Amino acid sequence: MFEAFGWNDLIPLLNGALLTIELCLTAGVIGSVIGVILGVARTSPRRVAKTISSIYINVIRGIPILVIIFFIFFGLPMLFPDLELSKFASAVVALTAFSAAYVGEVVRGSIEAVPAGQSEAAEALGFGYFRKLRYIILPQATKIAVPPGIGFIIGLIKDSSLVAVIGYIELTKAGSVVSNLTGDPITTFLIVGAMYFVICYGISLIGRWYEKRTGIHITSRRLRQPAGI
Amino acid sequence: MALYYGDLLPFTGILLQGLWVGLYVTVIAMLAGSVLGVLLYLGKSGRSRVLSGFSSGYIEVFRNTPLLVQLYLIYFGLPQLGLNVSSIWAALIGLTLNNAAYTAEIYRAGFEAVPVGLREAASALGMKGGDIVRYVLLMPATRNVFPSLTNQFILLFLASSIGSIISLPELTNAIMDVSNTTYRTVEALSIGGLLYFVVSWLLAMGSRYTEARLFRWARRSHV
Repeated sequence: MFEAFGWNDLIPLLNGALLTIELCLTAGVIGSVIGVILGVARTSPRRVAKTISSIYINVIRGIPILVIIFFIFFGLPMLFPDLELSKFASAVVALTAFSAAYVGEVVRGSIEAVPAGQSEAAEALGFGYFRKLRYIILPQATKIAVPPGIGFIIGLIKDSSLVAVIGYIELTKAGSVVSNLTGDPITTFLIVGAMYFVICYGISLIGRWYEKRTGIHITSRRLRQPAGI
Repeated sequence: MALYYGDLLPFTGILLQGLWVGLYVTVIAMLAGSVLGVLLYLGKSGRSRVLSGFSSGYIEVFRNTPLLVQLYLIYFGLPQLGLNVSSIWAALIGLTLNNAAYTAEIYRAGFEAVPVGLREAASALGMKGGDIVRYVLLMPATRNVFPSLTNQFILLFLASSIGSIISLPELTNAIMDVSNTTYRTVEALSIGGLLYFVVSWLLAMGSRYTEARLFRWARRSHV
């Protein structure tokens, strides 16, 4: 009935790993763009922008990503019957919604970590809000944001395993399929885990190298929080 | 489609039951994981090469792989070895092992943040060894660790939703049950999301309040 785990079974797993990377790249890039806007809005002097962004970030961070995935995949088509989202699109929307909130928090923390004197000096020199942001605050905040940003990418890759529940065949779902075919969950999921480990640990090494090279460590407790478990 | 929350009323008990299971699993995994985390931290920072290598490896492996894959390995892998595990045991084991890796790193960061110079200063001033450990190491380290640990508790509570994938009857599982019986998917998910949000917000508030009360002694110092 079962065939033992063989070299051929690696192909769907490698394919799944590629889809995981594709998914995370898409959601990560779109989410980061929205996240930067949210983070800047949260530190802006405008009350309305601040409130909206803060509500969004706190609500998303207080709900498990699995519930968000279920909401996008099962809930949205009920609210908008004309909307037809593929599994990939649903996965991207859910992970983007999540990424935006986490990047928003990272950006907010990094902007706040830039010494207040920088902002005051820019104002004293007659810089307007946007010029101050563009030339003084953001370049410094970007450097601070790298280590927690890398933590966020690792969290995103790990959390992307959850889109397996809506049947999108990324790495974890590919693992389930191969495990059912071979009847060998231990070998299969050890390999799946090893693939995640290679991707995530590799990225974390980049982060360590950056911290060593620049001497920038995460000092703020807020920025140290991992994005996902 | 008009939203109607009335259909959910008869299921209030099921949702609260799910919330209870989620919290219960989280509390046990947090307690067990924190103890295991202390051992991992001691192993990692200790003198034994073997122990420190094992602890570092454990921490990196659990922090760089998804919880879902860890749960699958336990839930589907253990029966392959002839050990049958229920979903609740699989979730408890998985969340505990996973949490231990994160708490170990929290302890490390908390203890490393206490400056060595303080201890040297204390001993130069003639403080006794036991007092130094208590007042100059453990108390400031506890204060560093506390907010990260409570935050980890909230993250773990949210992560317990992943247990629903291996059919742990916690809140997310209850939400999907209610959604499948009533076809009120949007309503069930939004009420469930609200429950998660309120509970994690209450936990965050509670932790901030406790922190303020517990560490009043440190308010003016920079230890």
